[in-house]
Amino acid sequence: MIQTIGLSKTFHDAEVLKNIDLRVAKSEIVVLLGPSGSGKSTLLRCLNGLEELSGGVVEVNGIRVDAAMKSREKHAKFREIRRQTGMVFQQFNLYPHKTALGNVIESLLIVKKMPREQAVQVGEQLLERVGLADKKDAFPSRLSGGQQQRVAIARALAMEPAIMLFDEPTSALDPELVGEVLDVMRQLAKEGMTMVVVTHEMKFARQVANRIVFMDGGSIVEEAEPAAFFREPQTERARRFLNQLSDY
Amino acid sequence: MDLLLDNGFFLLKGAYYTLLITVISIFFGLIIGIAVALARLKGSRPIRWLARAYVSVIRGTPALVQIFIVYYGLVDYGITLDSLTAACMALSINVGAYLSETFRGAILSIPKGQTEAAYASGMTSWQALRRIVFPQAARVAIAPMGNTFIGMLKESSLVAVIAVTELLRSAQLLIAQYYVNMPFYLGIAVMYWVMSTVFSAILEQIEKRLSKAY
Repeated sequence: MIQTIGLSKTFHDAEVLKNIDLRVAKSEIVVLLGPSGSGKSTLLRCLNGLEELSGGVVEVNGIRVDAAMKSREKHAKFREIRRQTGMVFQQFNLYPHKTALGNVIESLLIVKKMPREQAVQVGEQLLERVGLADKKDAFPSRLSGGQQQRVAIARALAMEPAIMLFDEPTSALDPELVGEVLDVMRQLAKEGMTMVVVTHEMKFARQVANRIVFMDGGSIVEEAEPAAFFREPQTERARRFLNQLSDY
Repeated sequence: MDLLLDNGFFLLKGAYYTLLITVISIFFGLIIGIAVALARLKGSRPIRWLARAYVSVIRGTPALVQIFIVYYGLVDYGITLDSLTAACMALSINVGAYLSETFRGAILSIPKGQTEAAYASGMTSWQALRRIVFPQAARVAIAPMGNTFIGMLKESSLVAVIAVTELLRSAQLLIAQYYVNMPFYLGIAVMYWVMSTVFSAILEQIEKRLSKAY
């Protein structure tokens, strides 16, 4: 479903991603872990082209983008990829000038050119799925962080993506609102969605992930099933990371 | 007062031209402003440079000089414009530069995450601008835009110097005829003030409507 080959990314002179080979199978749930600055978010954002690739290949759902392609071609390919992937951001990034429903159906109207009536129907179903059917006419400013993020998930689901990318979806939330968002994500996982998740929610990683990918310093340091990873990490760096977490 | 009333129609006609010049200049100024703002934000390097040069030159020179250049200067190159056209052209070019700065600032003030969310859902950069960034930027731009519009209304009096019979020149013509100053100047001052106030009121309504949404 997702494959990267020798993916690298440099900002100015700093190498943020070094030679990343990642594979994600259909219906697999991969959680990216690692200290801040390890490149997890950048990797996620390279998968749908929000970050430009410096080198290597990204292939998503059969669409292949090579860093060596002309930028026009890369843009076109990534736009295709984005139509088949949903993304959820740390800061929600809901459109403040549109209602919850307006947010969800925007891409249906503009990208898919779906007739409004039909889009509204799809949108209402999606809001129901994230438990916010009654908030469809509310503007984001009237919603709690947890509700906003659920709307953002519904919005990402609108294009019927084959893959969902989550970039620290609960990091900006008050602790008591984290659960409602994770519940929606668990539900998605149960329905067989392919998911790549950057998170600091260790419980979620342990319970829901099929595989943990641990990154540090722009490289993948360790990959393992969650049970094995949390019980006995194979590398010193992963051990240190987990110890730091359990100190709190 | 009688003098004013007797010549009311003549002055109103002047006011009509003031309004006409203002509205036309604002209309084309808006188009120029948006185009130049986008050129500065999204254009290739030479286009960005050109747009910057335009803004710098227009903002760094007096509007009066710009009007003279368009009306008298172009004649040297065989381009003769009637005074009304020249007035509208000069003022459009002038106000376009100021508006482009307002728009650029407004567009830059919209968080990057908004565009990213739009891109992530498959939109092209034009779709993201049109559907997501512009509506939010308009809200930010409306107040400074209003100031520019009202400045424009008053600045249109400059074109009296190229013999466009707008409000100021109407008064000057009457003064030359009757040899009294004050009533006419006071009269048109009031008329300018009324037009500015009406303008402000309209803009305030638009601002209210834009901000009601969220």
